[in-house]
Amino acid sequence: MDANPKINESALHTEVLVLGGGPGGYTAAFRAADLGKQVVLVERYPVLGGVCLNVGCIPSKALLHVAQIVHEAEEFEQHGLSYGKPSFDLDKIRAWKESVSGSLNDGLARLVKQRKITLIQGTGKFTSPYTVEIQTEAGIKTVTFEQAIIAAGSHPTQIPVFPNDDPRLWNSTDALELKEIPKKLLIVGGGIIGLEMATVYHALGSEISVVELMDQIIPGCDKDLVTPLFRRIKKQYKNIWLETRVAGIESHKEGLKVSFEGKGAPDSALFDAVLVAVGRRPNGKLIDADSAGVTVNEMGFIPVDKQQRTNVPHIFAIGDIVGNPMLAHKATYEGKIAAEVAAGLKAGFDALTIPAVAYTDPEITWMGLTENQANEQGISYDKAVFPWAASGRSLSLGRKEGLTKILCDKETGRILGAGMVGPNAGELIAEAVLALEMGADAEDVSLSIHAHPMLSETFAFAAEMIAGTITDLYIKKD
Amino acid sequence: MAFLIEIKVPDVGNVPNIEVLDVLIQPGEVVALEQTIAILETEKASIDLPSSAAGTIQEVFIKPGDKVSEGSLVATVLASTETAEAPKETPKAEAPAPKAETVAEKAPEQLAQPAAAVSTPELATRPTGAQIAHASPAVRLFARELGVDLSQLKTGSGRKGRITKDDVKNFVKKAMTEGLAQGGAGIPSIPAVDFSQFGDTEEQSLSKIKRMTGQNLTRVWLNLPMVTYHDEADMTELEAFRNALNSEKSAGDLKITGLVFIIKALVAAMQQFPQFNASLSADGEKLILKKYFNVGIAVDTPNGLVVPVLRDVNKKGLNELSAELAEKSEKARQGKLMPADMQGGCITISSLGGIGGTAFTPIVNAPEVAILGVTRAKMQPVWNGKEFVPRLMLPLDLTYDHRVIDGAEGARFMSVVKQYLGDIRRLLL
Repeated sequence: MDANPKINESALHTEVLVLGGGPGGYTAAFRAADLGKQVVLVERYPVLGGVCLNVGCIPSKALLHVAQIVHEAEEFEQHGLSYGKPSFDLDKIRAWKESVSGSLNDGLARLVKQRKITLIQGTGKFTSPYTVEIQTEAGIKTVTFEQAIIAAGSHPTQIPVFPNDDPRLWNSTDALELKEIPKKLLIVGGGIIGLEMATVYHALGSEISVVELMDQIIPGCDKDLVTPLFRRIKKQYKNIWLETRVAGIESHKEGLKVSFEGKGAPDSALFDAVLVAVGRRPNGKLIDADSAGVTVNEMGFIPVDKQQRTNVPHIFAIGDIVGNPMLAHKATYEGKIAAEVAAGLKAGFDALTIPAVAYTDPEITWMGLTENQANEQGISYDKAVFPWAASGRSLSLGRKEGLTKILCDKETGRILGAGMVGPNAGELIAEAVLALEMGADAEDVSLSIHAHPMLSETFAFAAEMIAGTITDLYIKKD
Repeated sequence: MAFLIEIKVPDVGNVPNIEVLDVLIQPGEVVALEQTIAILETEKASIDLPSSAAGTIQEVFIKPGDKVSEGSLVATVLASTETAEAPKETPKAEAPAPKAETVAEKAPEQLAQPAAAVSTPELATRPTGAQIAHASPAVRLFARELGVDLSQLKTGSGRKGRITKDDVKNFVKKAMTEGLAQGGAGIPSIPAVDFSQFGDTEEQSLSKIKRMTGQNLTRVWLNLPMVTYHDEADMTELEAFRNALNSEKSAGDLKITGLVFIIKALVAAMQQFPQFNASLSADGEKLILKKYFNVGIAVDTPNGLVVPVLRDVNKKGLNELSAELAEKSEKARQGKLMPADMQGGCITISSLGGIGGTAFTPIVNAPEVAILGVTRAKMQPVWNGKEFVPRLMLPLDLTYDHRVIDGAEGARFMSVVKQYLGDIRRLLL
């Protein structure tokens, strides 16, 4: 701190101000308070939890659970279990979804009180390197701070030429509101968010079409992990157009008329709703960061060092606003670092990987090095892929398309990356992350006893394939 | 972009059979251009062999004790164009890295570019595989708190070389007890200063001898409570005798120097005061008394200070000692001393008599317990009780390890040395 903040008498003064009450922001606020700091937390919405808790991870998972029940019941008809055609009470489902978020909101509000954090609802903007002005319902409130942590997140990318005022043109937040079940739903963007919403609306009865610019869904993920999902949804969905872009959308009374261009472009068609899920943009330009002297780049990201410091040493930034991947678990990790550094501890971003999970059906997850990256960077590796068709647990779920893949250092056998696809695959990535962080070799995993019959066994089986000790498969030796 | 470069022994003046003293690299290590990778020793000098390339050591072909000559293959370096151009860059940045982005956006090359991954350059540049320290996140945090660079630990004591918290603690303890030259023992190091801001500077590497001497002296300085006692010996009669002896010699004969008399007098005094011919046991509980009388002589050489040892001084005459001293000094100056020539000393003499001075405080060559400093003898007026008479007075400075030698003992020892030098006939007694 090179200058003493000017203290305005009517202004509130705090040691640490956290701008944004999403997972990164509230984690930073809680950690800073636990380290003895006086904390003011600014959140623009009446409830804490940000995108994740209110219009992201949590409500989408609640709806995905509905989808899972529908799909599982449907699929077991052929094995002799029949409930008949499901009926949906949207209001009830929506209320249940909201109760999930709601109970978490309440929990957070309690945690704020217990920690004696001052929560201010309103939109905060910097007015100097030591002050923010918060537009609240009761008027403008000024807070002076010694240190600040920016956790102002991101928003769904809007495409300006689309008729964004048409209520049938959705972003992910709209889709989660579950207002209606469109008969024909087009999803623009075959990434994680788009495909998760496709899963939900498909289960609820929509006819789904997906259009993706790249040559595969979930671009960036290794193709072998995506293939089982692709094969499954290709049968379930009406269309999946790859290497295709939306050329235009027109509002008509009878629907949204969408025209396409590109390799697999179909003729223009009418849809009852279009979900645009082409990524998220950081909110760096919405907080008047320049008043504080904080650098924001053209895209709206705020560059930080590995202690989450911006170019202004007493102002930190975390979460979506500092860069990809825009994931809650990255934001919370960064939030703790920023709070700890602000409290004078020697913390730093030291994680080796940030795991990714697509909660599709089947789920896809990966961490560490991917094969795509290894090939791009010329890293040689050993690979093992264990097919879930050889897992008793997977077969007993009525599923056999899953895979568990491990990439290892060729010389040391050290685990470099892993990925899984299959029902509940997302739960399996935690062990792989721990193995990577602990510097485990494939052998360390294969020598750890895994409970049977579990999906988590497949990670050990893949490790045994690397170690050459697998007995659940027969691998011919050349 | 990577290519393999062979590092060979350069032209060192047509000397065959250069001995490899030390190899400072191993496969997998990252070296910078001009970084010393091995120490070679010819009969004349030891040579720090610089790396002619920057990159990762692929294979090392020499080991200590090997004999090499010009053109011998020392090592292969996997160099990348980037490292070759910018050897000072931190080498880890070169390592391939798992990217953390889930989205297909690429990490930017420069911060200035609009960038999705500005926040995670650390992740983007994280090395993979064997290059990462084999330590769990908790151990990495612990190391961060203590400021320990885990790459310096190489391997740990855990399964498959995993670095544990105890390894980090032991590393710190070791650094504090051994890394004295780097300011260990809890002593704050001297902060680095960018001298170039004040004017032109030039960097010169210290010779191996100087670096070793420096470490040794720092160790002694920090371990020994030392006292220096100053006195003067009357050399008038001795000098007359020495001149007489030398005048008897023919032109090509080796002249006897004053230093030889000092060596003889010192040893005679040590025979009377056995605690001066002793070393403290490593645990500091016992005194080890020596029954042999070897005297080290500090010799200034172009490469630094060396201390050849004259053995069994008590059994040798002045002529024999003179010849041995001349021979060893010459060897020292030529860098030809063998390790055995420099071992087994009981006490050391550091003479600046040829240069000047009135007094100084030498540092004990531990585990010896005393060192005698000598500066230039000077004709001085000395009061003999009735009048001032001109006497040739030799300043002597005795530094001793106060744990072994008391102040009074030191003074008594010096008075005996003085007696011998004042009247060398006493050496016969």
